[in-house]
Amino acid sequence: MTLHVFKGFGETMMEVMTALSPLLILFILFQIFLLKLPTKKIKNILVGFFLAFLGLSFFLQGVHIGFMPFGELMGEKLGTVNLSLLIIIGFILGFFAIFAEPAVSVLLHQVDEASGGYIPQKVLLYTLSIGVGIAIALSMVRIILGISLWYFILPGYIIALVMVKYTSKTFTSIAFDSGGVATGPMTATFILALFVGIASVTEGSDPLLDGFGMVALVALAPILSVLTLGILYSRKEKAQDDKNQVRSEADRDNS
Amino acid sequence: MDNIKDTVLEVVKSILPITIVITVLQFTLIWLPMETFLQFLIGVLFVGVGLILFLLGVNIGLLPVGEMIGAALPKTKKLWVIIFFGFLLGLVVTFAEPDVRVLSTQVEQVSAGAIPKSILILSVALGVGIFVALAMVRIIFNINIVYLLTVGYGLIFLLAAFTPQAYVPISFDSGGVTTGPLTVPFIMALGVGVASVMKGKSASSDGFGLIALASIGPILSVLLLGVIYG
Repeated sequence: MTLHVFKGFGETMMEVMTALSPLLILFILFQIFLLKLPTKKIKNILVGFFLAFLGLSFFLQGVHIGFMPFGELMGEKLGTVNLSLLIIIGFILGFFAIFAEPAVSVLLHQVDEASGGYIPQKVLLYTLSIGVGIAIALSMVRIILGISLWYFILPGYIIALVMVKYTSKTFTSIAFDSGGVATGPMTATFILALFVGIASVTEGSDPLLDGFGMVALVALAPILSVLTLGILYSRKEKAQDDKNQVRSEADRDNS
Repeated sequence: MDNIKDTVLEVVKSILPITIVITVLQFTLIWLPMETFLQFLIGVLFVGVGLILFLLGVNIGLLPVGEMIGAALPKTKKLWVIIFFGFLLGLVVTFAEPDVRVLSTQVEQVSAGAIPKSILILSVALGVGIFVALAMVRIIFNINIVYLLTVGYGLIFLLAAFTPQAYVPISFDSGGVTTGPLTVPFIMALGVGVASVMKGKSASSDGFGLIALASIGPILSVLLLGVIYG
């Protein structure tokens, strides 16, 4: 049994070095001209950069040696399975890919803080997870039936922009932010490779045209689900306002 | 120490569910050779350890940089400084974004080198940079996000009509992957920093919307790349 664990690790490390150096250089320039931080803080930041360097190297290496080959092979196998099973697998993958995504927890946290607990974290998390599950299931349909991405993206964004009219500004920002947040490391690595694999075995499909676009749908799903939540909340708020108004009028009449 | 524990837990929670789903699929439906599956498990380990280290690094080193620069920029009181460095930060952060690298590797591979990795990364980074700069303008002048989104997506659909079809899915995917584990907290920190120094603005409604704009940028720039390059 031959395992390729560190194959090309040197190259990966070189890549990561070039990836991180612009940010480091920018920091150094800022430090010299603007920030002028004490040595202790600089030390911390440099340790942070070093950890990020190591981490990114291992992350990319894991994707190269593990996720990409396995994802593609798995996709090739799944390409021969019937569509309804693929839809179920797609939904499950999508749901779990986002459910514990670090980038999402950052957003949940920030939303919670900014809205003072007005939007419960759990509700947002489930809305996002179901939305992404549906998105990946739909991507399966798209790739097998060879439907152009346009038929999903165009109506999707038009509906989103219409829904914006009925939601508060805060919810609009949160919705469009969560679209990007949903497509974290797991989706963009493993599931991406899986779709390239499926496209490569599906008859009459062009991997370049059909294999990509999944991330796009995943990004759209949370936008729509959060906007829906936003509409529901603004209705509830409005109903409450109306009730309060009726009550205050009644109070006035009584006095 | 709590920081480390939290990060480890976060990463495990993020990777474990998918790994379990895949393991179940492996032993019920797909039955790939054990060697390949082992290779996948090693990949999981690497990605997990890598993400933990990366996120710790981001928290200790990269995020404070974003916050400090975000707070220091408005103090210069020069509009062009804020906008220019917003652009520059968006650009350099994208270079270091893990997901962007993975997507462009895949695109280069699938297109058999027709769309090179370095060119794709560069155009995505330019797109993010320009739109982070735009987001700074938005925070300073308090422009309604809805206008920017409508114009942005309008432009996207217009450009998409002129670009080779193969670039369309890739461009939208680029918009999705730019907002990974580095860009999101970094740009948020930058935006919150700028918004908190500009007095009288609520950090909530201004800080948000940044990621939305940051993901429009690369869609536009990759579509444009298709028009020029394709």
